Amino acid sequence: MEITLSQGLLLALMTFICGIDAVWEAFFIFRPIVVCFFTGIILGDVQLGLAAGAVCELTYVGLTTVGGTVPPNPLVAGVMTTVLAYTSGVPVATALGLSLPFALLMQYINIFFNSTFSGVMSKLDDYAAKGETGPFVRTITWMGLVVALSYAIVIFLSAYAIQEPISAFVNSFPAWLVHGFEVAGGLLPGVGLGLLLRIMLKTENVGYLFIGFLIASFLPLQNVLPIAIAGAAVAIIGYVNDKNKIIPGDTGGDNDGGI
Amino acid sequence: MMGEYRNKLSKKDITKLGIISTAYQTGFNYERMQAGGFTASMIPSFKKIYGDNKEEISKAMTNNMDFINTEPHMGTFLMGLIVSLEEAGEDRNLIKNLKVGLFGPLAGLGDAIFWFTLLPISAGICSSLAQEGSIVGPILYMLIWFIAWYSRVWFARFGYSLGVNAISTIRKNAGAITKAAGILGVMVVGGLIPSYVSINILSSIPLAKGSSLSIQKDFFDKILPNLLPLGFVFFTYWLLKNKRVNIVLLIVSIILVSILCSALGIL
Repeated sequence: MEITLSQGLLLALMTFICGIDAVWEAFFIFRPIVVCFFTGIILGDVQLGLAAGAVCELTYVGLTTVGGTVPPNPLVAGVMTTVLAYTSGVPVATALGLSLPFALLMQYINIFFNSTFSGVMSKLDDYAAKGETGPFVRTITWMGLVVALSYAIVIFLSAYAIQEPISAFVNSFPAWLVHGFEVAGGLLPGVGLGLLLRIMLKTENVGYLFIGFLIASFLPLQNVLPIAIAGAAVAIIGYVNDKNKIIPGDTGGDNDGGI
Repeated sequence: MMGEYRNKLSKKDITKLGIISTAYQTGFNYERMQAGGFTASMIPSFKKIYGDNKEEISKAMTNNMDFINTEPHMGTFLMGLIVSLEEAGEDRNLIKNLKVGLFGPLAGLGDAIFWFTLLPISAGICSSLAQEGSIVGPILYMLIWFIAWYSRVWFARFGYSLGVNAISTIRKNAGAITKAAGILGVMVVGGLIPSYVSINILSSIPLAKGSSLSIQKDFFDKILPNLLPLGFVFFTYWLLKNKRVNIVLLIVSIILVSILCSALGIL
């Protein structure tokens, strides 16, 4: 079945709203099970939306955004799985596979924004330094709106206007360019950490940086919690020693080692 | 220290902080991740604490503009803690060190709760309902995550009350605690380097008979795993501290060099 212009516009609007939530990860209405349901309502086939949502949600459960990586986009995958099943009449499992180029396109766009938005941070630093809260919040709001709008445009073009060309475009997209942004994604956090160390690193604590680094490099950890506990342990030892030093001998000094 | 700032924030303000934090991942980027939105969420609290004192608001904002990436629901715990310490006029170095030491572990905890436990469970139950053709599936899913959304208010309150209760202890031993927090913070940053910074050299040196020597696997990884990410962080640290390079210029150069190295097959 064909998608009408008003359906295309409604899909774009719905995607814009869910796209904001995809940035926030707050209400989880960007997840496939929800967006497929909404898409089904807009297309007038709720049952199809439910079936697509069930398959798509379970597929994308394993593909979560953890540690700064961007997996194929679940929101675009959800909308396009439903749309493709509706327009071409293929089973939802097949439509899920066909939706991949569109989900990848949104992934590329997100990687692009995540890289280029890094350049906006020094502008935010300026506003923070002047205490200009209004421009500070406005700049961040704009960044969010640009991303949400991109979601809406991708869906409008993919679902209504130029589905075939987009699919072909993504399949012929130069892999080195995408990979280049992925490489940048691995390097740019180094700038953030470098900025942090510029303030935090002191001669007396540089040793602890190496200890933390070595633990993370050689132990297969799920997260940095064990390192934080080790850090807290070392910090407590130092804290107790310092505290005892502050009180000089007048209480008898039980840490004099009995001499 | 600056005792006059005490008791400016009410329970309502902390609830508001939790609600506003909904938007805190806006402006996410690879360089400092959630720093912008994290700071923006606390602006109303800072305004409440410092009133028209633009200079103090500016200092409080700047103190939060560093790299941070934590779990969206539980990040409010840190916000609550930070505003409680700001309210008490605590040393900003201490605040920063505590924040840096805690966001990583908190992300690990939050990911385990929300992304690795609640998400698979809710997706599993609701998908099977949707599979049977019931609209309860997506509706229950939204309900579950709406409640999960509200947990950010509880985490904000928890962080705030923890901070308020700890203030007298902190005051008594300010110097020692600041030093201890510095150790914790720096050690966690060391641990974050391998998980956030990645450099993988794809080039290899061809040897005889069709075999080759992978520069990454056979050379750098043999010396020390993650040697290049560590070196890169120290390189940017040196550029920023000693050479005072422009950050935007640095970021643009990194993106361009990344694309170039990708095109040449080096990285």
